[in-house]
Amino acid sequence: MRVQSKLRELGMGRGRLARCRGSVPLPHAGRRGEDARATAGETPAPRILALVVGIAALLGAISGMARDFPPAALPPKPLVLPSPELRVLPNGLKLVAVERHALPLVTLRLMAKSGAESDPATLPGTAQLVAALLTEGTPTRTAGQISEAIDSIGGLVDTGAGWDESYISLSVLNDHEELAFDLLSDMVMHSTFAPAEVDRKRRQTLSGLEVVRDDPDYVADTALRRLAFSGTPYGHPEDGTLAAVRRIAPEDLRAFYAAHYQPSNAVLAIVGDMHAAEAFERAEKWFGAWANQTPPSVPAASPEAGTHRILAIDKPDAVQTEIRVANFGAPRADQDYLALSIADQILGGPSENRLFKALRSHQGLTYGASSELLSYQTAGVWLCKTFTRTSETLKSLRLALEQMKQMHDHPITPQELETAQGYLIGHLALDFESSENVASHTLELLVYNLPLDSWNRFPEKIRALTTEEVWNAAGRRLAPENNIIVLVGNLSGFEKDLKKLGPVEFVPLADVDLGAQ
Amino acid sequence: MFRTFHKAHTGRAVFVAATLFLVTGTCGSVTLPHTSIHTVTLPNGLNACIVEDHQSPVVDVQVWYHVGSKNEVPGRTGFAHLFEHLMFDGTTNIGAEDFSDYIIRSGGIDNAYTTEDTTVFWETTPSSQLPVVLWLEADRMRNLDITQSVFNNEREVVEEERRLKFDNPPYGTVVETLYEHAYSVHPYQHMTIGSMHDLDNARIEDIKDFYDTYYVPNNATLVIVGDLDPNEAESMIQKYFGPLARGARLPANHIPQEPPQTAKRVVKLDLNVALPAFIEGYHMPADGTPDAYPLRLASNVLSEGESSRIYRRLVYDKQIALEAESTGNFTEDPNLFFVFAVLNQGRAPAEGEAEVEAELTRLKSQLVTDTELEKAKNETLRDFILSRQTVQTRGEELGYAAVVLKDANLVNTEPARFLAVTPADIQRVAQKYFVPENMTLVEVYPKNAGGGSKATGGR
Repeated sequence: MRVQSKLRELGMGRGRLARCRGSVPLPHAGRRGEDARATAGETPAPRILALVVGIAALLGAISGMARDFPPAALPPKPLVLPSPELRVLPNGLKLVAVERHALPLVTLRLMAKSGAESDPATLPGTAQLVAALLTEGTPTRTAGQISEAIDSIGGLVDTGAGWDESYISLSVLNDHEELAFDLLSDMVMHSTFAPAEVDRKRRQTLSGLEVVRDDPDYVADTALRRLAFSGTPYGHPEDGTLAAVRRIAPEDLRAFYAAHYQPSNAVLAIVGDMHAAEAFERAEKWFGAWANQTPPSVPAASPEAGTHRILAIDKPDAVQTEIRVANFGAPRADQDYLALSIADQILGGPSENRLFKALRSHQGLTYGASSELLSYQTAGVWLCKTFTRTSETLKSLRLALEQMKQMHDHPITPQELETAQGYLIGHLALDFESSENVASHTLELLVYNLPLDSWNRFPEKIRALTTEEVWNAAGRRLAPENNIIVLVGNLSGFEKDLKKLGPVEFVPLADVDLGAQ
Repeated sequence: MFRTFHKAHTGRAVFVAATLFLVTGTCGSVTLPHTSIHTVTLPNGLNACIVEDHQSPVVDVQVWYHVGSKNEVPGRTGFAHLFEHLMFDGTTNIGAEDFSDYIIRSGGIDNAYTTEDTTVFWETTPSSQLPVVLWLEADRMRNLDITQSVFNNEREVVEEERRLKFDNPPYGTVVETLYEHAYSVHPYQHMTIGSMHDLDNARIEDIKDFYDTYYVPNNATLVIVGDLDPNEAESMIQKYFGPLARGARLPANHIPQEPPQTAKRVVKLDLNVALPAFIEGYHMPADGTPDAYPLRLASNVLSEGESSRIYRRLVYDKQIALEAESTGNFTEDPNLFFVFAVLNQGRAPAEGEAEVEAELTRLKSQLVTDTELEKAKNETLRDFILSRQTVQTRGEELGYAAVVLKDANLVNTEPARFLAVTPADIQRVAQKYFVPENMTLVEVYPKNAGGGSKATGGR
């Protein structure tokens, strides 16, 4: 869960100094484009580059100043993506098996196709608390017995709830796979949500929420979400709010668990050193008796994201201002999604990143600038993020807005398209290296009802997109009058200038409302 | 900087797991293949370690320069890391920003990081890009070309990085305070990011000397892991790195060693945070030394997983802390083993400290059980295996073993050192290092809630 991982980060400024914002991509369910990258440059695409190389070589010959150029790459090797085998048990549980025999490791990942968007309206944080409590006791195992059993075989358990999905995953060495199925099925089918365990987790969650209220990055993201997704099931903090978490009772958790953790709403991925046939056999043995309750309600289509606003949150002791700008995006299964992925790469993704160039490479205003598509089942938002020292707040915000307007007003160049395509297609090989990644990318397709061969067909689809199509998709969404802006910083340093951009709501950090309830 | 924090990096072994299960009596069906390392040393002093791994059509290249923030002198803190940034800013052959463009265009990713001991540059790309990546790394090893404006720009970027990671977040300066007080002469006293004052004063004139001293083939180790033919990779290395001149001015090791601490040091901080916290740092020996292994396993016993002792006591049973963890920052020179906790509302640091003290006392007075030790070893093994999943983490292990531990083959042999640890070893190191006079304590109090004043106390 976000609050916990945030704490790890805060606790306390640890981790090496990697050069880029976000550093090394983590082996988890990141969507494409989340990998931060170090730099993005004036990317001459290969064709242009060849031209430049030619000219430069000539110049070199004339002037006698020889410049060297990198050699050609070797012929590319074919990437064979794992083809998952799919099976459905009579109770509706979907099974996905991916065989990977290089390491003696098996990862089981069970996903329920409901996450924080299914939180009861007055109880944000429910989905995350449910996920966090899956490891905390069943009728036959106490919380202590579960952790003891997992730790003693060197197992690694992880639970969480994001948007549109909740999951529990368990990785073990392959001679403990039977125990892994046993434990996982017990937690998924029989969690008890005992009041003492609920209180304990609640207390932890509340402490975490208190800590992140002082973290400008968290406050900016959360306030932005609230405005940009207002009127959709995606507008509250997935970690919950202090008031709501205090109220959530064991019955609320059990109700969520019963409604959403049922076989017809779940997928089990088995990835690793195990034959598919054996994986299906074990899954049937351990999950065959899992019964459906009532079918969960299908979320209704959401209205488009909110309208233009500027919110400035005052944190007088801040030395940096967190800057967020959001505009319309697209749901994950939207027909424009791939075209927008390309546009997003160019605006602020690893491959091109006009934002990074404008703010960091050319001006040294920030350590990081990026954009991201927040694309869910029924709603989507396009988000730009950066941060800068207080004195440069307005300049940085203006530069970011300018880049978004540029993307709205003008088509991308063929070179930019080529670079983004090259990155997205070439990066697949890196993205499918670890078992966890293979599992999460496969499950993503099932959450959003996308064809199982989507990743296999991804290269040809990306290659087929034109600059015109990308601009059509991007240009329809980035109208400046729809920008939602959130700033968190020391207001006295930029308040006056900010008013020039339009009406601004000013709020002290202590009063900011991160979720209505 | 803190190697053990990244789970993928904790485990550095690649090993015959069967041995473990033999030792622990569990089923012996788990085996990991031996890693064959193809090593090359060029006449100019460059070391290379090449490993073939055909799991995916990707390759990882890393250049490890044996220079980090411990090579910095007072008044110049942060320079090694600033220099790392400059390495992306153009050479006499390619323009600023071009380096990453070559990588990204192919679908690859690249980055770099600086620790106390090393500066590491890495790229993971489709395997067809290997010659391009090697050319690029060889190019920037000796042809860097930095203008004044690029330098100024990069310094501002690094200052933003400092604000982001240290000055702006809650608790951001706590570890910095700990090191400031735990060390008196050894350069581990300062953070790799450096002080804002020193960053402000960094000059472009300092670059050339630093570059010519440390960014030379005889101070570098090249690591290549992935879908490749080792002989072909070796000829590419010869071709691109062979012509580079050996550096002539690598200094002898003049790093002052820290004298033993003789009395407990306490610092109290008032910060704009919601919850009290504390961190204790105990001096411990360098990584790779015999005591490092029982200390690593002790750290697992204390805080790895929800059944571990510190988690169990502070977070689960007594519910004093929101989060509590112990971990060793193992490095080339002796560093700190630390225990930290963020406390729940209404709890005082002293309460948490007493509970930690009780756990450390237990570790000193009673042997850990065989079951607990086996659990710690299994967790270690798991991390070793997880770290073999990607070429980048494999490269990292190999580079670390070769440069910091000075023996690349430790990726094969180091697990045996963990397996040999006995309950008595853990008790011995606990008794030796977890003593008050060896400890520096930083207590954090939320502002306006009583407690200390800004950085009072001291050594």
